[in-house]
Amino acid sequence: MTRLRGWIRQIGASGVIGAAMVAVMLFAAIAAPLIAPYNPLAIDILGRLEPPNLAHWLGTDEAGRDVLSRIIFGARASLMVGIGAVVIGALLGVSGGLVAAYAGRLAEQLIMRLVDGVASIPLLVWAIAIVGILGVGPVQVGPLLLPNEVKVLALVGCLFSPVFARVTYAVAKVVVAADYVKARRLQGAGHWAIITTDVLPNCLSPIIVQATLLVAIGIVIEASVSFVGLGVQPPQASWGTMLSDARNAIFSGEWWLPVFPGLAISLTVIGFNLFGDAVRDLFDPRSVTRTVIA
Amino acid sequence: MGRVLSSIGTLLFVGLALFLLTRAGSGSPARIVLGIDATAQQIAEFDHQHGLDRPVLEQYAVWITDLAHGDFGRSFVTGRDVAGEIVEALPITLAIVLLAFAIAVVFGLAIGVRAALHPGGMFERLTRLGTVAGLSIPAFWLGILLIRFVAVGLRWLPPGGYAPLSAGWGAHLQTTLMPAVSLSIYYIAVLARMTQASLADTLDSDYVRTARALGLARPRIVAYALINALPPVINLAALSFGYMFGWALIIEQVFNVPGLSRALMNAISQRDFMLLQGIVFLFTLIFTAANLCADLINRYLDPRQRAAA
Repeated sequence: MTRLRGWIRQIGASGVIGAAMVAVMLFAAIAAPLIAPYNPLAIDILGRLEPPNLAHWLGTDEAGRDVLSRIIFGARASLMVGIGAVVIGALLGVSGGLVAAYAGRLAEQLIMRLVDGVASIPLLVWAIAIVGILGVGPVQVGPLLLPNEVKVLALVGCLFSPVFARVTYAVAKVVVAADYVKARRLQGAGHWAIITTDVLPNCLSPIIVQATLLVAIGIVIEASVSFVGLGVQPPQASWGTMLSDARNAIFSGEWWLPVFPGLAISLTVIGFNLFGDAVRDLFDPRSVTRTVIA
Repeated sequence: MGRVLSSIGTLLFVGLALFLLTRAGSGSPARIVLGIDATAQQIAEFDHQHGLDRPVLEQYAVWITDLAHGDFGRSFVTGRDVAGEIVEALPITLAIVLLAFAIAVVFGLAIGVRAALHPGGMFERLTRLGTVAGLSIPAFWLGILLIRFVAVGLRWLPPGGYAPLSAGWGAHLQTTLMPAVSLSIYYIAVLARMTQASLADTLDSDYVRTARALGLARPRIVAYALINALPPVINLAALSFGYMFGWALIIEQVFNVPGLSRALMNAISQRDFMLLQGIVFLFTLIFTAANLCADLINRYLDPRQRAAA
């Protein structure tokens, strides 16, 4: 308990607010079927385009579906793509960075050139183009039929990986050259032992910072790609497709349709950004500015 | 020079990846152009005519050499010159991106400088809140809100479309202002933060303290500090310029602007691979060039890096 209190003091008010916002959204995504008041796909033609009221807190859309329920279920796609992409990016990037720092000059050159190459790809354009080429159908992986947004997740993950590779590579290079690590090696510690006890713990804080800030970017990318029709496919609820549907309502006056899904995106992303900034200030107070932008 | 060469190498490599990916898409262009009823012979003829029966690497070599000469090839679907379509759409996208870039640089710098000069003040606190919001609000949602409340609600600006510069500055700005503002918010926040952090750091340095002790006038001190604080900001601005093109794709969809976004979406829906790979390569080229500029500017402005290069 005291540890938690100390941690809260360190991370500051904005960090705690950010963490709380992230926690609420995660809870909504996980417990969606339990907390959503209606079925997000249930069409009710007689109750279409109702403004926010006691039965439908955030109103209903042009098919009479409950907006609040769709937003709660929409959190699933957003967080799955945002977090999933970062996990893939971190796995690829960290292992690539480690191999590059360890495995001699040729592998180092190869991997870091590859990292430069991937980093010179404009993420959003390629995500749109590649999903466009592959089509928006579901993906069959063994017995599993995965929805289209998995393609976005995998692509964004690959394109996030250079960030992690560079961080890991830089830290690993420094750590490996450090005297205490040389001493450990002389004592007979193997590569694996040095990686797990010296290199990885040193990379961890920058990786966590980058990961948190990248989740925020991943969520916006998912929403944007879904908005242009290449992400989550209707009728499944997602914040991006809800905003895309809401374009008809812009001119007819149903203000709640364009407002609430966008608020959901913004609040989630603000949560991750506040939390990420606070964690970065905690680990690395000197670097005031972010290194990842999109 | 080495940096330029390696950028070109990267571009060739990434171009190959793009080429292979478009070829990996479902079905040969012949099927799409000639329809399902086409006989095997017709398809073979089509493939031969367009060089599609040759090895992929050879096709790539032809494509990339033509590209270097400014020839983006001809669309299989519409028969139109890809370079021609790009020349039509690019100025529209460029107009929005340039205006957004100007807005981002002006406001980002102004806000950042003001916040750095008054640490702990109300403005700095507002800046901190505002930049988090700016980094988090999706540009396309801001665009939707602007259309809903500024165009439809207040009727101040048209809700979409595009008027070229030839239609007059007024009409041009009326159609590009809202897309540019939506696009710029994120980068205003990014640049304001970097300016503030860099300038605050510089104002904290020993030489500024010395200058102050020597009795230099404050405006002069701030001017000197600003010059020394700018390199990371310029670097980030160059990077931002590259990123802006990507988000412009989404913004153009919101405002129904006939720029590169519409061309790309048409290419996707018509499975027009030549047009698609031409546009995506153009974006990659711009992005790589922006990165390269950021790097070179950094080297030029920072003598330590110049010596190392």
